Amino acid sequence: MLKYSNHFGLLNSPKILNKMADKNTSLLFEIPKLDTPKQNPKVLRLLLSKEFTRIDFGYTTPWYYDKGGWIKISPDTFLEIEGFTEKYRLKNADGIPIAPKRTNFKSTEDWQFFSLYFEPIPQKDCILNMIEAEKPTSKDFNYYGIVLKMEEGICFLE
Amino acid sequence: MILRNNMRKYPTLEEITEICKRKLDLEKLSTETIKKDMEHMREPQPSGFDAPISYNKIYKGYEYLDADFVMGGVSLTDSDVDAIKESIDLIRSIGGSRVSEKFNNAMEKILSTILEEFPDGTKKQSYLQTMTPPKSRGFEHFDLFYTACSTKTPISFVHYNYKKRNFNAITIHPFLIKEFENKWYIIGYSEQHKEVRTFGMDRVFAPIQLKKTFIKVEKAIIEQEANDFYGVFPIPNHKKQCIKIRLSDLATNYFEAYPIHESQKIQKEPDGYSIVTFQLVPTIELTRLFLSHGYHVEILEPLWFIEFTENLK
Repeated sequence: MLKYSNHFGLLNSPKILNKMADKNTSLLFEIPKLDTPKQNPKVLRLLLSKEFTRIDFGYTTPWYYDKGGWIKISPDTFLEIEGFTEKYRLKNADGIPIAPKRTNFKSTEDWQFFSLYFEPIPQKDCILNMIEAEKPTSKDFNYYGIVLKMEEGICFLE
Repeated sequence: MILRNNMRKYPTLEEITEICKRKLDLEKLSTETIKKDMEHMREPQPSGFDAPISYNKIYKGYEYLDADFVMGGVSLTDSDVDAIKESIDLIRSIGGSRVSEKFNNAMEKILSTILEEFPDGTKKQSYLQTMTPPKSRGFEHFDLFYTACSTKTPISFVHYNYKKRNFNAITIHPFLIKEFENKWYIIGYSEQHKEVRTFGMDRVFAPIQLKKTFIKVEKAIIEQEANDFYGVFPIPNHKKQCIKIRLSDLATNYFEAYPIHESQKIQKEPDGYSIVTFQLVPTIELTRLFLSHGYHVEILEPLWFIEFTENLK
């Protein structure tokens, strides 16, 4: 299980930092380098739009798997906003197969950029978790505590 | 031209067809084709040419109602037409993977028009061949970066560093696209690096146009990036300077035949060897070029560059 802190150290802060009115703009967030020992796949960007929430990842194959191992993403992966029960389901994946399919790498020097598309979350300041498995193993892509502050989002053209 | 010929006014459809057949060296050309072409020429722009072609019932032939009319405002002579035909060969040879989709589409339009005009063009043997390697990864972003440079739009993209094996999100304020040895690069101010940086398009993923203020770079820096480099990756902390090398007689031939930069100056010695100077920003590619010539190229100045190159051996 990968645990993400955030650059403000706000893991224990209020669940929703402030309640801003929903916006209809598309926002891009660059996720800063985080102080966690394991960051593979690395969360790179998060995009909010009316149609989807997208998270971009970069993965490099580790040395300890024969030929770099493999990757896949569970179809049950979802996003949740801390403090709320609603789940924002995975809609699509680009660059990574949805399980049971998987991509087998060919070497320990391989790498892969991929994006996951989820149902759109409200455009409000929040702490976001991405859950691939409710009871995760070290192989699951679970990320906790991704802090989104709407004022830090950059408008982008779709 | 046929309709402006004062020596033979009011040509008939058959006469026009015959002249076109002769001029364009065609085996077959029907009067129907010419009739359709003239109808097309009569159509208003942009689909047609607004040509004031009219059938004169008294003289039973065609004429321009406006005697000064020329198509597209440009009158083509026979030699112009020949030049266009020759250019088609060149355009064909540099087409395909070396140009963007947008340019390729435009080129296809021109080629199809030309083929309509000169249908025998495809039958001719091509006398020109250039390197047309397969499309490279990342080249699909060419149009987006080109637009971003011209509209001054910042771009967010994910970059993979081959050497460090890591991914990073980058925000670039691009001002130049550069091609070197069929590799494409985007150059601009990187917010993360807080300086002008060059990124290989093959390592760029998911570029997105941002709605934020564009950071402009000094004109002198842009000009330097465009003019004072051999290659694309400058050796850090070294400005444009004089680089002096000594070439063997063999290497001298190549550098004389294929100068690598506008600033290249060759001073030949009696034994055929030569001293060559350049005014360049030292780059990784320049170092590689010198090393690729082995003992035929000896770097003389500056001293640090000699050491730098030695360390790469």
